[in-house]
Amino acid sequence: MADEENSPDYCPEKITPELNDVHADKSKIANKANLLQWMEITVSEPEKRTNASMKMQDTFIVYLIETRVTDENMKGFNDGATSLWRRYSEFELLRNYLEIMYPTIVIPPLPEKKASYTWQNAATDKFDPEFIERRRAALEVFLLRVAAHSILSKDKIFLGFMQQDAGWKDTVYNTDFQSKADSKLKAISASFRLKKPDRFEEVKNYANELQANISNLLKIRARMADKLYGIHKVHGNYARVFGEWSCIEKDMAEPLQSAGHYMDVLSSSIDPMLEEEEHFADQLKEYLAFGDALRSVCRKYECVQYDLEKAEDTLSSKAKERDMLVQGKPAGAFSITGMKSKIFGSDTPEQRDLKIKQLEEQIKQAEIDVKQATQETQLHVQSALKDIERFQRQKVKDLHDIFTNYAIMQIKQCKKGIAIWTSAKDCFAKI
Amino acid sequence: MESLDLNASVKSDVTVSRSSSLIANFKLDEDIDAETKDLFIVVDDPEKHTSTLESYITFRVTTKTNRSEFEGCELSVRRRYNDFLWLRQRLEESYCTHLVPPLPAKHSLKRLDRFSNEFLRIRQAALQKFLTRLADHPVLSFDRNLHVFLTAKAWEFQSHKKQGSGILSRVTDSLHNMGASYMMKNRPPEFVIMHDYTQTFGEKLGVMDRISQRILKEATDYLTEINEWAPCFTLWANSEDNLKPTLLAMSKTVEDCAKELKDMLDCTDDNFAQPLKEYVLYTEAVKGVLRRRDAMQMEYDMIVEELGKKKEEREQLTQQMDMLNDRMVVANADLKADMDRWHINKQRDMKDIFLNMADRNIQYYEKCLEKWEAMVCNIQVKEEKQETSVVTEDGLIVSNST
Repeated sequence: MADEENSPDYCPEKITPELNDVHADKSKIANKANLLQWMEITVSEPEKRTNASMKMQDTFIVYLIETRVTDENMKGFNDGATSLWRRYSEFELLRNYLEIMYPTIVIPPLPEKKASYTWQNAATDKFDPEFIERRRAALEVFLLRVAAHSILSKDKIFLGFMQQDAGWKDTVYNTDFQSKADSKLKAISASFRLKKPDRFEEVKNYANELQANISNLLKIRARMADKLYGIHKVHGNYARVFGEWSCIEKDMAEPLQSAGHYMDVLSSSIDPMLEEEEHFADQLKEYLAFGDALRSVCRKYECVQYDLEKAEDTLSSKAKERDMLVQGKPAGAFSITGMKSKIFGSDTPEQRDLKIKQLEEQIKQAEIDVKQATQETQLHVQSALKDIERFQRQKVKDLHDIFTNYAIMQIKQCKKGIAIWTSAKDCFAKI
Repeated sequence: MESLDLNASVKSDVTVSRSSSLIANFKLDEDIDAETKDLFIVVDDPEKHTSTLESYITFRVTTKTNRSEFEGCELSVRRRYNDFLWLRQRLEESYCTHLVPPLPAKHSLKRLDRFSNEFLRIRQAALQKFLTRLADHPVLSFDRNLHVFLTAKAWEFQSHKKQGSGILSRVTDSLHNMGASYMMKNRPPEFVIMHDYTQTFGEKLGVMDRISQRILKEATDYLTEINEWAPCFTLWANSEDNLKPTLLAMSKTVEDCAKELKDMLDCTDDNFAQPLKEYVLYTEAVKGVLRRRDAMQMEYDMIVEELGKKKEEREQLTQQMDMLNDRMVVANADLKADMDRWHINKQRDMKDIFLNMADRNIQYYEKCLEKWEAMVCNIQVKEEKQETSVVTEDGLIVSNST
């Protein structure tokens, strides 16, 4: 979860992250690459709550978020832990806010809303303790990822999410992030109108490939879990037969009975195994969701690029119009101006000069616009590519760890299988 | 023929007296295997014959022995499944109170092609087992028909087969048996136990057979999924540079584990499922013998009853009764001796079957363990290499910006 970025001054949205008053120790904070270096964050104790005041019964789960300052040089050290409750929808609000405010950052994803890629016995009910526990773990990972990010970790709303109990929601709405969200609508269709969809095309393709690959893995894993579960549970039937069979045997009775016991052990050993594997699946699902986050960054780039292209279009059309006027021809053979001049007669030279002058001014303005848009785009591209690179490094490390852990889990399971079958073998040997 | 039978009852009496302690018995049995075994039969080399009317498979049956009735110590003939069937029928007719080992079912349940290698491999193993069991049997191994089966040339064998139909007597016999088992009331307690035992044992075997089929099916499905899983990693590796080694290692290991699973499944079929099936059939054979014994007892009981009714024919009937009683005693002794032997065999075979199953599973897990451990080592080494490369990459970025 370590983050290698440390350039606190690049932030295209010009939001200087103000910290809570409690920790307004700016100079010291500026020295820190991210929040995790001086703060401990945990999500724990999921609890079921029901909102009875509403007409419709609203039952939901809240999670306890605790933070504790771990660096003795920072303010708040020795203050003990702050803690507050948040529900999933509040996490969603936080993420929506971050996604809109930081368009060049690959925002860490939240755990899935509904269980996907499940197998027959996996917990899918949203109030199932196992499902809640997995969601809790994933929410913690989300907070830690945000806290590990050099830019996101300094966001005021994010800090408020963890420390400001009352009125946090209002603070979020007051940032007016939703008005920016409306421009997102534009983004949806922007990609179809873009003249030169380049640089980010590759990233977009990559995101698609990543998702296709992971979803393939998950799909087959779910089917494998089904089968593996079946194999183990059917072995459990031997336990019953051995038990019944031992009743009619003399010398074989005891070994058969104890062998039956180990068949029972084998059959029940699959449950914790698959529970552990579910954790592996969750980690892959996080990267499946990262695919969406990547695409969202691409879409926002398309938006900026679209603005630039629009400004360029305006500039070139104005320039064309002016050139025509200077040459004394009406702009465009069948333009409205052309029609007007035919009907009302040509403009007087004074009128024409005035128009040219007006156009010159508009062109100047358009040039400034283009310049600004170009700069903005460049800045956007720069920071977005930088963050994507950060994401890629993180991803390589994480996936490497995920697969290593998977292998270690398999090793553990093999050892368990060997142990059980060796015990069973000892029983059979006594027949 | 007579002398052989006498010989048999003497021999079986010996076995009966031995059954005092099972452990001692077990040892003795092994001793017999090692020292007194003088008839070795091998079934191998299936060959397809095609004629205008039918095509069939023959197996080579090779006999090694120093028994005097065999000319020469090594003989080899070719026999087809129908010949085995004929042999078993004749044995069952001649020794209706002995336990004749079973033959594999005529058709495969899995609907395998009867000329496919898998089918032939399984059938060959089953025929081998059949002949080995016969060769180890103190009475059956001296049978005249078995001798012909093992030694006669093709044409001789065919003409021998045509002698004596035997089938008619079998039909009436089996009809007789059918009723006998149901009407039997005063079975001696030891045979009641035997009867109940085979009944329950047969049921349990049936259940185990179904369980093993089910596991095989689930495991085969699992194998299909694993085989699809490995390529997913390879595919993904194509779009990743830094993760490529890890993903390829995953793919390779998953693939290796799939291979191990396949090996295990193949072995399980040969060493577990098939022997289990054989025992299902064997138990059926035991039931058949028990039925025939019951029929004999019926006949005896009927005569005793008749004796009560017809006093005037007393002399004659007493003779008949004595004869039947003798037959009954011999039959009971035969059957008990065979059952004792069968129990010892069964215990040993079951032990082997289950030990084998456990071994297969252990081996499978050990092999997978090995693969996964190798993979972890493998990618951790690569990770170290990669970390150094990342450091240099970062160094480049720093030097560019300054």
